[in-house]
Amino acid sequence: MTLQLMAVEGAESVNRRSRTANRIHGGPAAALGFGFLLIGAVLVALPLVWMFSTSLRPSAESYRLPPQWLPTQLHFENYSAVFQSSVPIVALFLNSLKITVAVTLGQLVFCSMAGFAFARLRFPGRRVLFILLLASLMIPNQMTVIPIFLIMKALGLIDNHLSIILPGLVSAFGVFMMRQFYLTLPQELIDAAKMDGAGAWTVYRRIALPLSGPALSALAIISFNATWNSYFYPLIFLTSWEKMTLPQGIALLSGYMQSGNPAVVMAAVTLAILPILFVFVIAQRWIVEAFVHSGIK
Amino acid sequence: MWKLSDRRREALWGFLFIFPSYVGFMVFVLGPLIAVAAISLTKFDLFGGTTFIGMENLGRMLGDDRLKTVYGNTFFFTVFAVFFNLAVGLALAVLLNKQMPHALRNFLRSIYFFPVLVAHTYVAVIWQFLYARDTGVINYYLHLFGIGPISWLTDQRWVLPSVIIMDVWKNTGFAMLIFLAGLQSIPGVYYEAAQIDGASPWRRFARITLPLLRPTIFFVLVIFMIGAIQVFDTIIVLTGGGPGDASRSVVIYIYEQAFQNFDLGYASAIAMTLFGLILVLTLLQFWFSRRWVHYE
Repeated sequence: MTLQLMAVEGAESVNRRSRTANRIHGGPAAALGFGFLLIGAVLVALPLVWMFSTSLRPSAESYRLPPQWLPTQLHFENYSAVFQSSVPIVALFLNSLKITVAVTLGQLVFCSMAGFAFARLRFPGRRVLFILLLASLMIPNQMTVIPIFLIMKALGLIDNHLSIILPGLVSAFGVFMMRQFYLTLPQELIDAAKMDGAGAWTVYRRIALPLSGPALSALAIISFNATWNSYFYPLIFLTSWEKMTLPQGIALLSGYMQSGNPAVVMAAVTLAILPILFVFVIAQRWIVEAFVHSGIK
Repeated sequence: MWKLSDRRREALWGFLFIFPSYVGFMVFVLGPLIAVAAISLTKFDLFGGTTFIGMENLGRMLGDDRLKTVYGNTFFFTVFAVFFNLAVGLALAVLLNKQMPHALRNFLRSIYFFPVLVAHTYVAVIWQFLYARDTGVINYYLHLFGIGPISWLTDQRWVLPSVIIMDVWKNTGFAMLIFLAGLQSIPGVYYEAAQIDGASPWRRFARITLPLLRPTIFFVLVIFMIGAIQVFDTIIVLTGGGPGDASRSVVIYIYEQAFQNFDLGYASAIAMTLFGLILVLTLLQFWFSRRWVHYE
């Protein structure tokens, strides 16, 4: 026993020594690695910095080389030009917001309910139904867009936000994520409630749901981001200016103005990205965690 | 415990709880999947008069040179975009996992991760300007080193590399994040023991980090591959698939066949081939991950 302890202590002191040695030895290598990290971070940030500073300069100076990276002037007229352009940017923003909020809220309700049932309720066929749902994870939504287009056409929902919202409410990934979370709840908690005569709805509503804050917020973040950024479905289903989403509008604006007015285009892109940056700075910890969760099952 | 009648009630609640998701799943996933297979056997006319043509679309695909081109582009993009996304992401994760103040690590990680949150559409709009031949920032700096000017988006040889560079800029942060989480789950004891044995940093990376990170790497590989094979947003906004067909991907081709030529039958047939590919990839992942679980 004591021998073992001594051995451990010995190893630790060797370890401590070698670590300090390593720090001195690894000095240049570590500095090099750190240098790479810093240069990489600057390279990653530069396109966004360029976007921002270009949006604040008169359009005539957008093409001036060598490029000026930092905002040297503060011309906000590009931003007012965005609002006065033929692209109804406020309406597009509200469209995107409406679709995204509807899809996210719907997913939170439906995925948590289905996830709870698959994790904690016993019903015939549970396993098969779950595996079938899980298998749909590998069906890309580009695959199914043609029949969905035909369905929406038959229902008269082309150029209607419902054509984006309805298919968006289904998320096998969300159901899976919530199920995995509900499996981690202690069984005793649920048994105790059952013993007190609580039905399935009460267990879900009073016990499971109040505990699912972290899982729900992770799902909300993933779902919000995916819907807010989506381009493929809106491009196919939404055809009029009044119904389009923000990414569609920015892509069209860029097409119109590219040759003449990069500053206005960059102002529009800045307006589209700033809310994301703002939210990211505030909720960074949760967002990063949500994405780690989405990656590691 | 609930009594027998309670058990029946529980089952009823179970069905009720999965009902909305399952109806959606039937209507928007399973149904359309079957429909797409059926449509792929027809010459589909949106305005009536759809005819069954069996395997004719298959014959047409085999003779379609543009389909070969777009599949070639998609494979080229997938191989290089996935390789660089993973390689850069892993390098960043290893460097970030070194000793440094917590706040600094968080700050660097946030910068590398942020582009993941930005829509492909916006990224492509910004990079169009950066890539411009005569006025672009990238060519300006290359010219200082005596390189160029390169026609990034209009030269057939450069257009896919341009797409790939932009894709790595946007997506490598996600690979980094997952790798970093994987690295942090490797017990430090292993490294300390290796250090006592005098293992060089490279050996420690090759003998400890890589083997223990292998399941994570494989998982990220499959996720990125499935994503890359379906590439659409990135390319359609940056180049529209041009010049010529030089950067057209399979999904762009499907989209154009279906919603510009309204040739839904042929588009569905191509979609089926893509689905087959993704199915194979997913099954491979399933098979490999089971083998690994068995291993450890």
